[in-house]
Amino acid sequence: MAKKYFGGCDVGSTTGKAVILDENGAMVASIIVPSEIDPEVTSVQALEKACALVPGLASYKDLSYLVGTGYGRNEVVFANENISEISCHAMGTFSVAPSIKTIVDIGGQDVKTISLDGEGAVLEFAMNDKCAAGTGRFFEAMSRIFRMELDEFSALSLKAKKVIPVTAQCSVFAESEVISLLAKRNPPEDIAAGIQQAVSKRCFSLLKRIGMRPQVTVTGGCAKNQGLIKALTKIIDMEVAPLPVDPQIIGALGAAVFARRKGA
Amino acid sequence: MKDVLADARLVLVKVLDETKGFWRHSLAGYLIASRNLIDARVFVKYWALTWLSILKLILGLILRRGPLALIRLLVHYPWIFILLRVNGLMNRMARGRTGIFHEALCLTVHSIAVAVVDQLHDIAYHLESMIINEDLVPSDIAGAMGLKAWIMEIMGIMLPILKPEADLQYIDAAENAGLNPDACSLPKAAVGMVLKRHIPKGVAIVSSNMPCDAGAGSYAMIQREYRLPIYRLDAPFHFYNERAEQHFARDLMAMIAWLEEHTPGRMDWDRLREICRGRNRMLELELELWDMIRARPAPLAGEAVILSHLWHFNVTPGHPKAVNHYERLVKLARKNLEKGEPATKHERYRAVLWNPPFCHFVDLFKWAEQTYGLIMINDSMTYNHHAPIDTTSPETMLRGLSRTILQGPMVRHTRGPAENYLDDIFRMVKQFDLDMVWVANHVGCKTGQAMNGILREKCRAKKIPLLILDYDLMDPRIVSHDNMVRQVEFFMDNVMKAPRLNQ
Repeated sequence: MAKKYFGGCDVGSTTGKAVILDENGAMVASIIVPSEIDPEVTSVQALEKACALVPGLASYKDLSYLVGTGYGRNEVVFANENISEISCHAMGTFSVAPSIKTIVDIGGQDVKTISLDGEGAVLEFAMNDKCAAGTGRFFEAMSRIFRMELDEFSALSLKAKKVIPVTAQCSVFAESEVISLLAKRNPPEDIAAGIQQAVSKRCFSLLKRIGMRPQVTVTGGCAKNQGLIKALTKIIDMEVAPLPVDPQIIGALGAAVFARRKGA
Repeated sequence: MKDVLADARLVLVKVLDETKGFWRHSLAGYLIASRNLIDARVFVKYWALTWLSILKLILGLILRRGPLALIRLLVHYPWIFILLRVNGLMNRMARGRTGIFHEALCLTVHSIAVAVVDQLHDIAYHLESMIINEDLVPSDIAGAMGLKAWIMEIMGIMLPILKPEADLQYIDAAENAGLNPDACSLPKAAVGMVLKRHIPKGVAIVSSNMPCDAGAGSYAMIQREYRLPIYRLDAPFHFYNERAEQHFARDLMAMIAWLEEHTPGRMDWDRLREICRGRNRMLELELELWDMIRARPAPLAGEAVILSHLWHFNVTPGHPKAVNHYERLVKLARKNLEKGEPATKHERYRAVLWNPPFCHFVDLFKWAEQTYGLIMINDSMTYNHHAPIDTTSPETMLRGLSRTILQGPMVRHTRGPAENYLDDIFRMVKQFDLDMVWVANHVGCKTGQAMNGILREKCRAKKIPLLILDYDLMDPRIVSHDNMVRQVEFFMDNVMKAPRLNQ
């Protein structure tokens, strides 16, 4: 009898992620692809690339059950089910780190904080989806000012000797503030640390809303930004727990866990 | 031939698309969509009665004052055209609901429509005895003095219910005139209507320091614009005490003396007694209604409960028509309760809405009901629980009215310690066996915003699911309807794990 595989596809605004689990729940493939304009194209690309990593799985059409998530989840029309990214991030995190009780999911276009119960279910959530400040897009804009890639920007902020506060919370105003700080010949690493601090403060207020409880972790692409993790750790006065898998695929992993539960 | 058929199909689709508003709001559209003859009969009855009442006003005006009077009225108050959508509102609310709940909704919209017609009648015939009455100042007093009270904020509330974007021109006008853009959009709408001279001027203004700074501040602009004498009531910050009640009752007495000086009104204490008795009867009936809707599933809910209070307790308290409406509403609820018939067959969840209602998106209740089986049992504006007014003497009546106002919604919730706000919510959760609390997080309400953090912590401790739904009271540009729906979806899907009814 052929092996059963279960898929999760997280169609984000910046990247598409796909995860495939086997019938024992082991992750056999994961992939991240840049988002296309059409979310359906993104999902097909991510899933096909993930399937190519699994011997014996020719196409996503052969998946026993597929769950779509992310902002473009409704465009994954071929999925068996769509589940909100909030539930998927909660489930994905719980599946790899059951001790986590609080998640900060920093995606390309929004920030969410999620509080979990002991079984990976969502207790509360808060989101900032009305402005770009504090999101992946914000970091992209900031690193552009420094003429750096995101990882270089992150590394730069870690070298700061002091933090120059960036007061503006709006992406557009922050951009002009950072430009003027650079023009005044302030050390770039200190300004970069100020940017990380500003975003962390924003996350902190969202965390307060849901009643932050240890352990706290960060998911989404921005979790790879070590400068941000350092600043957040300081502001929440608590360790940010690292995850044993790529934090960017957590949403897709949660979707795949749901798929396995429903399709098994 | 194939091409002709395809073209015809395209034309048909286009026609249907362009007339979808008509089909959604018209009697014809309702009748086509209706699958229940009894419901259709009820709808047609109230549809006709409402039109009859409107036509009576129009014909009366033409016959008594001539067609020019009617034209003048429409030119001065162009929002009357929006009011003509009232049967469309009834259509929006009643469609998809059946039985007694359907009838209660039709009855409620109709009763409000008739009361609005009465208000228009007052504008047409009694401007010389009309006063501008702030919504939290008890209009019972004006009624007892033979004055016509125009509740300043009421059209700002009612118009977006009929047409979501109705208040925008007024909000913009107020902001352009210098009213703080961060202020609540309700006083902004009221000020905008005054700036455009779309509110009857009357002869005097009675206002107060309730419920918030924006509301109180707006009356400075209104007074400046209309150049009318104004009396401002002073509601104490701490009011659960004898001294505060006495202070407010004395203030009401001073307001009566002031009105006698500045208007043709004269206090008739017997008339006030009648009004207070009517108010007491309404209260009695409302308490009976609340008692009935505690049953699970509820025999009535949603807009029938909420809109009834919104209009009748604030604009026409104690009026025989308002009493009659509550008697009929209670009768309908009792009928359902006795038959074991729920308001909606699909009741799965029960919630209350805290803070001011979604005026420009009342349809959200029906959507939640039909998507998740969620019924809105009651709301904070309706939840005015208090003792009946003692009608023994003028003093006791004023004391009773003072208590009703000071301990009533908005006033109680924006004054004193946080408990004044929180206790009612948790009392409601118990009383109505709720599954969750919805907070209408009006972004223009600073007091409400300040309470959210405390409320979150309390709900968390009591394990009550809480949805804090961002929106603006009157302005759908701040948070769109789509966004509001999405917030509910996120909450229901992720926190409540609620399956949709169609799943």
